[in-house]
Amino acid sequence: MDIAALERLGFEIALGAYLISSIIFILCLSTKKRRLAAMGFTLLGFGFAFQTLALITRWFYAGHPPWVNTYEVMSFFAWTIVGAYLALNVRTDYKSVGTLVAPLAFVMLGFASLQPSNPTPLIPALQSIWLLIHVPIVVASYCALFIAFVASILFLFKDKQLHERRPLENNGLPRGSSTNATRAISQEPSGVLDKLSLDQLDDLAYRSVAVGFPLLTIGIVTGAIWAEAAWGSYWSWDPKETWSLITWFVFLIYLHAKTQNWSPSLAAYVASFGFISVMCTFLGVGYVLPFLETYINVSTGLHGYAGGGDVAGTVLFCGILGFILLLLFLTRRRPPRISDAPLADAKTEATQIN
Amino acid sequence: MNFAIKLLTSTKFTIAIIVAIIILAAVGTVYPGGDAIFGSWLFLIFIGILALLTATCSLTRMLPLWRTITHPTIEVEDQFVQKLPYHVNLTGVAVSQFKARLKGYKWYESTSSETTFIFAQKGRIGRFGPHITHFGVLILLLGVVIGVAYGQTNPYSDKITVIPVGGSQQVDGFDLRLDAFNVSYYNDGAVREYRATVTIIDGNQVQTRDITINGPITYRGLTFLLYGYDSNGLSESGKASWVAFQIKNDAGIALVWTGAAVTLVGILLSLYVSHKRIWIKLYKERIILGAISNKNLARFSREIDNLCTTLEDHP
Repeated sequence: MDIAALERLGFEIALGAYLISSIIFILCLSTKKRRLAAMGFTLLGFGFAFQTLALITRWFYAGHPPWVNTYEVMSFFAWTIVGAYLALNVRTDYKSVGTLVAPLAFVMLGFASLQPSNPTPLIPALQSIWLLIHVPIVVASYCALFIAFVASILFLFKDKQLHERRPLENNGLPRGSSTNATRAISQEPSGVLDKLSLDQLDDLAYRSVAVGFPLLTIGIVTGAIWAEAAWGSYWSWDPKETWSLITWFVFLIYLHAKTQNWSPSLAAYVASFGFISVMCTFLGVGYVLPFLETYINVSTGLHGYAGGGDVAGTVLFCGILGFILLLLFLTRRRPPRISDAPLADAKTEATQIN
Repeated sequence: MNFAIKLLTSTKFTIAIIVAIIILAAVGTVYPGGDAIFGSWLFLIFIGILALLTATCSLTRMLPLWRTITHPTIEVEDQFVQKLPYHVNLTGVAVSQFKARLKGYKWYESTSSETTFIFAQKGRIGRFGPHITHFGVLILLLGVVIGVAYGQTNPYSDKITVIPVGGSQQVDGFDLRLDAFNVSYYNDGAVREYRATVTIIDGNQVQTRDITINGPITYRGLTFLLYGYDSNGLSESGKASWVAFQIKNDAGIALVWTGAAVTLVGILLSLYVSHKRIWIKLYKERIILGAISNKNLARFSREIDNLCTTLEDHP
């Protein structure tokens, strides 16, 4: 078997594993069986092993790091997100996070499979040590910020669920600390949301940002150093630079919100918007701005992996963006019924104390 | 005046300014010619306000923080200890055991007639993380301003110079000679590399160096980058007859990189170094102990709780 076919085989096994895993995780939404989530998790691990093989093989035969053209960058992104998810589960059980990780990994790898897979030679602008440093750091930061987004979305859904279920719990609600209130209620199983408490999800989001934000900072700075060497200017308000700075600012707001005792759900919304900004930086700049005629020469620049008038990419970006907005829309709370009023007050009070 | 100080130290106002900058920047990327926003007065004023807020935030908070941290209150009421997130009453435990087990803490002691007060803290630098970050951002912005201001008067701040192959050009007291320009290709015809070989002749000092994309050279503070070449000549006869170089001299760049490094250190300190404090009051028969940390409180409480349990069980 030649080496390119070996890479392709690893790639396709991973693609299949991510697909089945996505289906399993989606099934988990409506059943309470923990076994299923464990299967989804194992399949992601299985796919990850094969994709690792594919990436190493490709690095070997392409002769450069496997994150240069669209096919490579998208599959590297999928690989990193699955890797981050597996690493996350080493110490604590965060399998529910797979509900969104598996579909994203599948979509990114599926998108990669539609792209020309033959390795492209390195253009002179990419022949730099920074290719080896800047790209993985930025991709890792995106993945950490994605985990923060998933934790935030799960937080918002769980918060909504608790809020709407509360009337049924009647007198069991401890007044005072919201921590106790959450713990008391989170005992009740409810699909993917059962295992993790609000506090755990809030904490996971914060700790993911604590990893993703410094990585993003390093990513922006190494990008600036590279731009200084290649373009003679460390900052030129290129849309990629601008959107990475916007992302940085959004998570800056998130971190300041955390020091100010803002409500955790507000922080969760900020983190979600931060991930929208990540997607704008990663995909939107290359796949949408050319249509608005503000960033046409993307295919000749250093960030040429996305762009070149590829409509499939535009569809991918708009699909992801639409899906995120839909999820955020679904997290809105229905107004409490009149009989709930005193309990709703207790909840507000609890949040403020926290 | 009071209102002005409140506004300048308000986190909400700062976030409002950041949101405004985000909106302006996003708008600047989505319509043709929108990037003019980034040089506009409006945008610069917002960045200026943000810099001012960053500075006032740290200036007003640094001194009180410094005082709290260098002169901690050691003699505290029992009530104070009992209100800390972790607190416990212990019997039969010697303070020396705590000192032996808690590594890296700075210890303080004070004795009154019936009580000995002990205080320990660790990770103080973490509390300064946000201010170090703010300071780093300000250094970075200062570097940008110096670069722009100095660039106005410096003829070599950003200059394009065209040199014919074999010819030379005088630059700031020395000569730059273009010896050769070579283009190499991959098998499929794509360009592998552009390489300009130049010789710098500066009085008696003569040195030959190569300039590639991603491989600029710097001589006497001036950086030379490959900017363009005679593409018509190259496609028609396979030889480019001239090469354009970009000459850069940014006086602020060292400050920009220093600022970025300081910012990063500040961010890491803010996110990862937690300030841990322990108060112990020693009575004749018993000890009361209280502890707090500004991050990872649950883990810290567990750590201290485990230690207390171990010491009580095996005194």
